[in-house]
Amino acid sequence: MELKKLQEYWDSFPEVSMEERPVLSSDLEKIVVKNPLSDAFYLRRKLLLRIIVLSVLWLLNSWQLRHQWKTDGNDLYPVVALFGLLTYSIYFHVRLLLFADYPTLLSLPLVNFLGKLETVLDKYILSFKYISGLTGFYGLGLIEYLLSLWNTRAYNSLSENNWYKWLILIFICISVDILLLHTIVPKYRKLLISVQKYKEGIQAKAQNK
Amino acid sequence: MNDSSKKGFDSDIRSLLKNQHKRVYSICRLFTHNYKEHQNLFIDVIAAASQNIRARKNNGDKQTLLLRACINMAALHSITQELGPAKDRTLQFKSPDYQRSMTRFRESVGEASDYEKFRLFLEFEKMPAGELTHLTGLPLPGRAAGKKKEKESLLPIPRKPFNFIPYLKEKLVWS
Repeated sequence: MELKKLQEYWDSFPEVSMEERPVLSSDLEKIVVKNPLSDAFYLRRKLLLRIIVLSVLWLLNSWQLRHQWKTDGNDLYPVVALFGLLTYSIYFHVRLLLFADYPTLLSLPLVNFLGKLETVLDKYILSFKYISGLTGFYGLGLIEYLLSLWNTRAYNSLSENNWYKWLILIFICISVDILLLHTIVPKYRKLLISVQKYKEGIQAKAQNK
Repeated sequence: MNDSSKKGFDSDIRSLLKNQHKRVYSICRLFTHNYKEHQNLFIDVIAAASQNIRARKNNGDKQTLLLRACINMAALHSITQELGPAKDRTLQFKSPDYQRSMTRFRESVGEASDYEKFRLFLEFEKMPAGELTHLTGLPLPGRAAGKKKEKESLLPIPRKPFNFIPYLKEKLVWS
């Protein structure tokens, strides 16, 4: 009976009003090409940009690795480690982009859609760990370069001592990770928690009915 | 796809969206509180439906893709609203007739959850009950209760956990 009454209200909604006006062709032309997802959920551009930057760094690193290998240089181990990290980071980001599959994301059933959104956000948060690691390597490189300009003896002392290098690298990695954890990551974590809460809430409602 | 068939496909999408736009307005009616929210959600749903149909042009029923776009975008709208700062949730529409109808409708519905709103939407749009599972992946109301009982009967009776080192656990580890 109640539903019948609601259906009557529903059917009695004004036919023509500002809210119910028919869609104009000119409006529709613009709407159909618009991206429906907001910036917070649409990570495609960010992932693509990262893949491009990482690929450029990978190419530079490959050249550097070849040079170190041939000359049996001092920095062979850090360069090998950086090569490994860059390779895995590219693989991680490409896999995430392919998994997200943004063009078909919204055509999934609600639960699957929310589940996929949850996984993408979770992995995106994890990707900041790789960014911290890479910043550590490039931060160390920058420190070495600045030292070479400022004080050659200090630079020579650092470049001959691998222990110091690794300690500086770890220190930068952890510092950047903490910085990201308090600046960029909370926004995505909040979003992830909201999606999880919504999904669990709606599933619980469906189970209890 | 050549130019003429692409144009034909695009005009197909446009005509479908034009014919079905009232369905999109219906979901907006259930999830929005003012004119601006209403129009934004409408635009997002139309964009999502168009994207869905384009991405799955060879497989997938267009009606299903449109309804999934409605439901998924409405869910995202709810999540986004919850994330933002607390807003005035009173109904504010420009047209007095529309405002009156919305107020009367909301008073009748009361504080419905999103799951109930989705069910209402499908009911009002004269969709069969089985479509709920197809569109949302959620079980049907009757089946959910049955499954829950079935699952509960299959579950082993929980045993009282055995405390291996009670003294250490209570006095050293947790204190």
